[in-house]
Amino acid sequence: MKYDIYLVGVGGQGVLTIGDLITEAAARQRIPVSFYPTKGMAQRGGAVKARLRLGREFAGPNIPERGADLVIAMERSEALKAVRFIKPGGDFVLFGHVWAPPAVMLGKEDYPTLEQVREQVQEAGGKMHYLAPKDLPLYEGGPVAANVYVLGAALGHTPLKEILDQSEAANLVQARWAKGAERNELAFQAGLGPMFEGEREF
Amino acid sequence: MRKNSSIPPIRVLTGNEALVLGALRARVKVATGYPGTPSSGALASLLKMDLGDDRHVEWSVNEKVAFEIAAGAAWAGQRALCTMKMSGLSVAADAVYSIAYSGVNGGLVIYVADDSGVSAGMCEQDSRLYAAMFDLPMLEPASVAEAYKLTQIAFDLSEQTGSPVFVRLVTSIANAHAPVEIEEPLSPEKREVILERDITKYTKAGSAICMDQHRDLIARLEQAGQVIHEMGLNELQLAPSAGGLGIVASGIAAAYLEEGFEILERNQVFSKQSGKNLVSTLRVVSTHPFPAAEVRALLNHCDTVLVLEELEPHLEKSIYVEAHKIGFEGRIIGKLDGTFSRSGEYGVEQIVRGVSEALGVKETWFFEKNQVSDVAEQLTAARPITVCAGCPHRGTYMAVNQALKKLKFKKDEVMVTGDIGCTILGMNPPFHTVWNEVSMGTSVSLAQGYVHAGIETPVIATIGDSTFFHGGIPGLINAIQHQVPLTLIILDNGWTSMTGMQTNPGTDEAFQPPGSHRVDIAKLIPALGVDQFFIIDPFDLEDSAATIQKCLALSGVKVVLARQECAIQAQRRGLAAGKTKVIPQECTLCKQCVVVTGCPAISLAEDTIVIDHAQCYGCGLCAQVCKFDAIEWEAAK
Repeated sequence: MKYDIYLVGVGGQGVLTIGDLITEAAARQRIPVSFYPTKGMAQRGGAVKARLRLGREFAGPNIPERGADLVIAMERSEALKAVRFIKPGGDFVLFGHVWAPPAVMLGKEDYPTLEQVREQVQEAGGKMHYLAPKDLPLYEGGPVAANVYVLGAALGHTPLKEILDQSEAANLVQARWAKGAERNELAFQAGLGPMFEGEREF
Repeated sequence: MRKNSSIPPIRVLTGNEALVLGALRARVKVATGYPGTPSSGALASLLKMDLGDDRHVEWSVNEKVAFEIAAGAAWAGQRALCTMKMSGLSVAADAVYSIAYSGVNGGLVIYVADDSGVSAGMCEQDSRLYAAMFDLPMLEPASVAEAYKLTQIAFDLSEQTGSPVFVRLVTSIANAHAPVEIEEPLSPEKREVILERDITKYTKAGSAICMDQHRDLIARLEQAGQVIHEMGLNELQLAPSAGGLGIVASGIAAAYLEEGFEILERNQVFSKQSGKNLVSTLRVVSTHPFPAAEVRALLNHCDTVLVLEELEPHLEKSIYVEAHKIGFEGRIIGKLDGTFSRSGEYGVEQIVRGVSEALGVKETWFFEKNQVSDVAEQLTAARPITVCAGCPHRGTYMAVNQALKKLKFKKDEVMVTGDIGCTILGMNPPFHTVWNEVSMGTSVSLAQGYVHAGIETPVIATIGDSTFFHGGIPGLINAIQHQVPLTLIILDNGWTSMTGMQTNPGTDEAFQPPGSHRVDIAKLIPALGVDQFFIIDPFDLEDSAATIQKCLALSGVKVVLARQECAIQAQRRGLAAGKTKVIPQECTLCKQCVVVTGCPAISLAEDTIVIDHAQCYGCGLCAQVCKFDAIEWEAAK
């Protein structure tokens, strides 16, 4: 099955780690995979994007516009940059974190509302799945890693679940961070888990 | 690739990693380079491996030096690899030209990475044109796996022909990850070192020698073409029946062919009987020398030729020549007829557009259906890149701005030249300090031009440590010789940071490979004869601003060394410069800290600013600009 994923977010959110883990999981299952990240110049706070292509034996790394079966967006404003890539009918997973640039903080520039983003995604024909940052599960009083949670959500609630083995992915998450194993397990399972109330819409 | 992994069990590799693993498989002995996006990952991954004692790998001071070291090793009979980004090839070009004339004994492979589509911010240079100018063979992988394979072929080709050979990747291969079948690396061959004294080969002493070498060079390229042809490296597939469409695709453009064909079939542009079966393809792997025989065969078989290559119409021009020579009367679709642009990346869209054009199908079927609105992107909040939390450069820009303000200069009255690397981020808000960015080391010389042009206000040049070593030193020596009144600020954070934290000559010895010796800028500058030399701590805003202010009033060459380690690197070792604490009841939300520092660790809450301690390095610059004592700062113990 050919399946293309477009990822966006801000440096420091672990967007590329999501891509890395999916790539690793696919490679272990012998699924052809290409993962092409573009980091901004800044370590943190810069725009980050990545393209992940599953199931193509010989393929270029870039996904054409309106070609992504799944978009994973980790930041509300950056999500808009992925809209041109969502395939009509494709899944658009948005973790609604707001990382405001200084000009926005100072009130000099606008920042898109959630409604605006939702509208754009729908106009492009994407199926919006919204994950509210406030629903991020807690572990020992602190929020878990959002990227692991979002990875779980993408694996649990999009056609990605037909492609990748979830327990294999869970193992990879475990292996990646020896330290926060329990915390990440919680994050991953919460993402993977059944729908629950609140703003989480799947 | 994980750190400290001895050589692979790894299968998922970047193009950069695949390329160097190909070189290891090809028994490379010496590998050199200078960091530059998107090529940096190649040598960086080699340096993380445990390679044993019989290979030498280094970040050299610049690309010219890196290339010359590799060439020396190749003249001595060993296999050598040199890596660089496209801009670096221009730095090395003088030496490459000369070595191309002489030829090599051991295999010499130059890896150059181009950035079509500009993901890193530099020129859209097409290095294939360099290969043509140098008369050197160039191979272009279309995938990560091919980067592994073709690097090995490049070494063999180099030794077979006695010519340096280029391997060219673009960003979307260099930085893409894909599973690759890897064989065990092989140790360098035990070769007797060649010590050959032959001025007709190794010098350019006299016209006869140079012209002989030129003829040899042309002959070597011809031989390379022959070898490549016999290997069948350029894949020609002629359709069963003549008279159809022929597609020439090179490098990354070829990677999208299959996907493009799928779309064309799905939309019945290719019908089952008449479509794909009438299409012949030539995948060009050797960008240079031009695969004339294969192109001729294609032209003889087809009515229309579609050329798919990113950036310059390099192959296309030669195809026109070949077409003219054989009297081809069909159509050639590419850039020269206006179908495609010389700028940007190629993808599926170009395949679809080109084939539709060739078949006389209005391509609007694809593009209208797939029209994408720009509205979403217009709503996006601009995210200008700025320096990291704790970056010492922040303090230097703030000090320059403060010094200029104290001297009653307006922002647009004092030229502050900029240079390549993290230091250029001073061009962005909130600093707006730096004016321009050209090439490695240019800031120092460009500033002198402004002085000689008759500018009456002070002129400031800014440059980072690695960039200074790379290309800034000659400019400074020139300024000293001619006593040009300017202030050079060297922002020394001890690392080549922007490309991913490589070492440079000034990096602390503790972090350099064993046996290295640190070159201390603080000792170098006075030794050059600069007596107006000042060292500042960019985290001390008042002193830094006062020092810069003082310099601007002095005549002659002034050098300021702003010294603090890159906060990212220091934080990775658990260090901090200090500790900040917000006193919410004192904070008036005047936002001065955000306005002046633009620090990403600071954000606004209901009625106070908030500092993210996960990011904060404790530089204390925010505390120094707070007028209400709302930020407490304590130096690290």
